[in-house]
Amino acid sequence: MILKINNIEVKYHEVILVIKGVSIEVPDGGIVALLGANGAGKSTTLKAISGLLNHEDGEVTDGSIEFMGERIDKMRAEKIAKMGIVQVIEGRRVFEHLTVEQNLKVGAHMKKKGGRSIKEGLEMVYNYFPRLKEKRNEIAGFISGGEQQMTVVGRALMTSPKLILLDEPSMGLAPLLIHEIFNIITRLQKDENISILLVEQNVKLALNVAPYAYVMENGRIVMNDTAEKLRQNPDIKDFYLGLKDHGGRKSFRDVKHYKRRKRWLT
Amino acid sequence: MELFLMALTTGIMVGGIYALVAIGWVIIYKCSGVLNLAMGEMTLIGAYISLTFYSMGLPFLLALLISLIIGLLLGILTERVFLDKLIGEPVLAVIMVTVGLSFFFKGMVELIWGTDTRVFTPPVFSMEPFHIGQIIIGQVYLWSFVAAIILLIIFVCFFKYTRWGLAMQATADDEMAALSIGVSARFVYAAAWSIAFMAAGVGGTLLGNINGLNISVGYLGLLVLPAVVLGGLNSIPGAIVGGIAIGLLQNFSGVYLDSYFPGGVKEIAPFAFMAIFLLFKPHGFWGWERIERV
Repeated sequence: MILKINNIEVKYHEVILVIKGVSIEVPDGGIVALLGANGAGKSTTLKAISGLLNHEDGEVTDGSIEFMGERIDKMRAEKIAKMGIVQVIEGRRVFEHLTVEQNLKVGAHMKKKGGRSIKEGLEMVYNYFPRLKEKRNEIAGFISGGEQQMTVVGRALMTSPKLILLDEPSMGLAPLLIHEIFNIITRLQKDENISILLVEQNVKLALNVAPYAYVMENGRIVMNDTAEKLRQNPDIKDFYLGLKDHGGRKSFRDVKHYKRRKRWLT
Repeated sequence: MELFLMALTTGIMVGGIYALVAIGWVIIYKCSGVLNLAMGEMTLIGAYISLTFYSMGLPFLLALLISLIIGLLLGILTERVFLDKLIGEPVLAVIMVTVGLSFFFKGMVELIWGTDTRVFTPPVFSMEPFHIGQIIIGQVYLWSFVAAIILLIIFVCFFKYTRWGLAMQATADDEMAALSIGVSARFVYAAAWSIAFMAAGVGGTLLGNINGLNISVGYLGLLVLPAVVLGGLNSIPGAIVGGIAIGLLQNFSGVYLDSYFPGGVKEIAPFAFMAIFLLFKPHGFWGWERIERV
């Protein structure tokens, strides 16, 4: 296990309890998906890992986070990043006023001893995202949404990470582009042996990519299983995949919203 | 005509000094989005430090170098003591802290160096002016201008080509995203404040050479604000052009408007101009416009 989250609790502003006992494990070189509705606490969980939480006045108040056997839940964000965890925050946050290539270069700013050079890093990223090579001298604020997402993922790659925390890479993108980006992500995981913790709203897609997934609701993990089993789970089918129990497509005609209660919600 | 040329050259040269201080202002804004209202006092501190060492008999350049080094340390110290806790807090809170800092610095300066006007003795630059055709330029002004240009080139290269410079710009653009890929916000802010301290110190020292040094040199910090706004708050070339523009504006209004509006039109002309200018170009000449995608 490269990452072990053990029963953490997160509070914002010292009073608002948003994560209530979450445990997640990510295997070395594996992809794990974290699913759930808006406001379930997925992004907060990622921020707790990467240490960005401190910058939003949040804090891990209980439990522990271990990365390669070392506790990181009290560390500063830049130190965690140096250890090899990089978060791709949601919403395609490129550095808008820099060019694409400068964006990537910022990713490589913390050169490690014996690591690859900036030039090699750039080459690797352009190899995965050929489209970025064409756009490398353009201002990142003006390229298309898909290209921005590629820039952000490429920038994360430049840090030579061991674990990438990917927050909703599909948000607001065209289906074809999403497909392309997810293909690249799986390639990355295989070729570069990078572990990935993926947060997604698009459950169908996430379960295709990740062999194992956790489902979050209201700051808790309510379910975790292999993708195969989750796909068969009647609740998942009903609430996330929009299918009826026996597999057919749900019709909006017979929507009765709360006919079935989420049993795992109390 | 001669009067016009005189006002023109003096304006450009004094503008060089304004530009130096404006660079300090821009660098802090560029990296953290903070308007540093303690800029004037930082000029004072740098100037007094080099004056002290110069009075002790050290060569001028060495005194200036020492003030640069102390400026660097003070920048790091300021970040560690006052601003480290504020990373991630609203920008307005940080701006208020800089107001507090400006009072604190001013108090320290008065405590250490007193309030009397002090001059660089013996004068650093010879009083013998340069003659270019009919125009006469004081040496101080000329050197200030040269220093400003050199620093401009250094800073532009720093931001464009070094990874630290890029990291600083990235932090300015999106602090959270920069943090997520391991840019250390503490380092960026410490670097920004150090650079600002150093640029301000050079500006203050040069200005102290012109008129002598007292607490009122600190008002330079505020006077430079129109220059910064004019050039765009996060553009270094903008700061240079803005500084020179303000220098020109001051000198021309001093020469031509003083007879109509006697008394101090020189001081307020830049601000009046800034207010009108902002009506038409709210981002300044080279400021970052918010990139909004539709």
